[in-house]
Amino acid sequence: MIAVVFNLSLLNGFQKQGTRNMVDTDAAGGHYVSPGFDLLDPTQWEDSTQIAPASLKGLPPLDKAEVLVLQGQIFPNNRLYPVQLRGVEIDQELLKLPLLGLKSKPSKVSDSIPVVIGLKMARKAKLKKGDAVVLKWRDRFGAVDALDVEVVDVADFLNPRIDEGIVWMRLDHLRQITSRPEEVSWVAVRDTIGPVVEMEFRSVDDLMVDLLTLLKHDRMNAFILWCILMFLAGTSVFNTQILNVFKRQKEIGTLMALGMNSKKVEKLFVLEGGLSSLGAVLVALVIGVPLFMWFQRTGLDISHLKESTIPVYESIRLDVRPGEVVASLGVIVGIMVFVAWLPVRKISRLDPALALRGKAIR
Amino acid sequence: MKILKFQLANRGAKGFFVILCLVLLGAFGQAVNAQDMDPDELLRRVDDNLWSQTKIIEGRLIVDNGRRERVLQMQTWMEGVERSYSVYLNPPRERGVKMLKARSKLWMYTPRTDRKILIAGHMLRQSMMGSDLSYEDMMEDKMLSRNYKSAIEKFEDFEGTPCVVLLLIANDKTTTYQTRKLWIDPEKKIVLMEEMYAKSGKLLKNVRFKGYRQTGDRLFPKKMIFRDLLKSNTKTTYEYDSIKFDAEIPAKYFSQSILKR
Repeated sequence: MIAVVFNLSLLNGFQKQGTRNMVDTDAAGGHYVSPGFDLLDPTQWEDSTQIAPASLKGLPPLDKAEVLVLQGQIFPNNRLYPVQLRGVEIDQELLKLPLLGLKSKPSKVSDSIPVVIGLKMARKAKLKKGDAVVLKWRDRFGAVDALDVEVVDVADFLNPRIDEGIVWMRLDHLRQITSRPEEVSWVAVRDTIGPVVEMEFRSVDDLMVDLLTLLKHDRMNAFILWCILMFLAGTSVFNTQILNVFKRQKEIGTLMALGMNSKKVEKLFVLEGGLSSLGAVLVALVIGVPLFMWFQRTGLDISHLKESTIPVYESIRLDVRPGEVVASLGVIVGIMVFVAWLPVRKISRLDPALALRGKAIR
Repeated sequence: MKILKFQLANRGAKGFFVILCLVLLGAFGQAVNAQDMDPDELLRRVDDNLWSQTKIIEGRLIVDNGRRERVLQMQTWMEGVERSYSVYLNPPRERGVKMLKARSKLWMYTPRTDRKILIAGHMLRQSMMGSDLSYEDMMEDKMLSRNYKSAIEKFEDFEGTPCVVLLLIANDKTTTYQTRKLWIDPEKKIVLMEEMYAKSGKLLKNVRFKGYRQTGDRLFPKKMIFRDLLKSNTKTTYEYDSIKFDAEIPAKYFSQSILKR
């Protein structure tokens, strides 16, 4: 029981933290994207931008963040490193991004462009705060351009998807250097505002479909594990009940001789089984609650996922959902009662005289 | 003694005057040359020397990434600025790879997969076979005189050859390199060095033209050395083994049907 609830709650916790990180740092309440835009197809980024519609532009900074994504190349230590240039409105308050270092910079690009990169990106490109490196890109017309960029901050983005291979800059800077005034790749919004002309809405679920699919598979695996656990527990209860009926033949015979019909004896044994499973629930609560409380304090360390693209690598906490716990316990108790009843059906076929002598079941 | 000093000082003054005259004369001469020289006309003459309606080239692309050198032997058929077809002859790993350029599209055929891939749009900006050239650079055979406005920037000696340095500014915003500089030998109307600049003015690439030789009625370089100046220790040399200008090229060379085994 503890294992089943723990497993479910751990997956819930993983999904909750992953979703929270994605929502806080990238997805918000969904994206209005330029039609045809596919983040996994960099060769199309430059063709999938458009001027932000007025209905989105007019939203307050707390409700929307305009984002422009384009290709670029940096040359750390004179090596070519392809990057995603991501410009985000610097005054937006919707996404929690560690871009404070860019806020104080002037809106006009001078000799060097201030940028922020993530920890992972900094490690891979061997860059650190204060480094200057050449950035090359193409403007809207296809002309090559290059300037030095200054890494004003190396920040922890929490979400590896917006860290590796991404160079963050002010949206006004990116628009300026690529001659794309007012253009966006998408607008992240707090809540959908309904259909917007020439923009497609992608919900949070659409934006994190890969993570949700992964978790769906994990839940499938958890279900298989749950089935195995149930089979083992059921077999054990079943065997106990068979032994119970075999060992307590004389008791059954006596009860029958005293006037109890076989149905009543059967119910008595099932009641015993049911009470045992409720007892098990109590024991599970006694052991499980302190265990879960301890786990909530320590969490499960998954820092190794930093190297993956899964948007969560802080310690996982359980997300215990009462409905799920009650349902799981209900199913478990139900199964236990069922496997407690299955072997005692034999009682209805017992001859009370033989049972009294302990020879009804051989 | 005073007389001797005066004579020496007088001689020094004379010498200085002579040198000053020569310098002024030279500068005046250059100014006259600069005034006489029409940069657009010079660029046209350079283009006329390098450019032709059709070309058949056999050559080697030597890609040096600073750690190792790869030699790609290839043969290319070019027609105008819009159509070209190349086939790689060596090394065995690349043998049979074919590239067909038609307008702004480039198809690549690999015998190993027996498939042709369209390299279009932004894919053209990727490095070609790990070289310092992008597919776009390789495909580009535009007449500079048609795409750039030129101006004389200065006169200078380049590796012992008196050169005029032309500053080229692109006529339209879509040109990849908005600024170029050419070191031209005005006597022979040949380019000795070219520099490509980003829109911001940052120097990006450098091309050296070496070993000019008479090919028909033209002077054509034996090799062109490309350097991406944002990378270190890399260079790509395009070495011409043979080149034919204005040769007859059958239409089938520029048809997609040629992209098969």
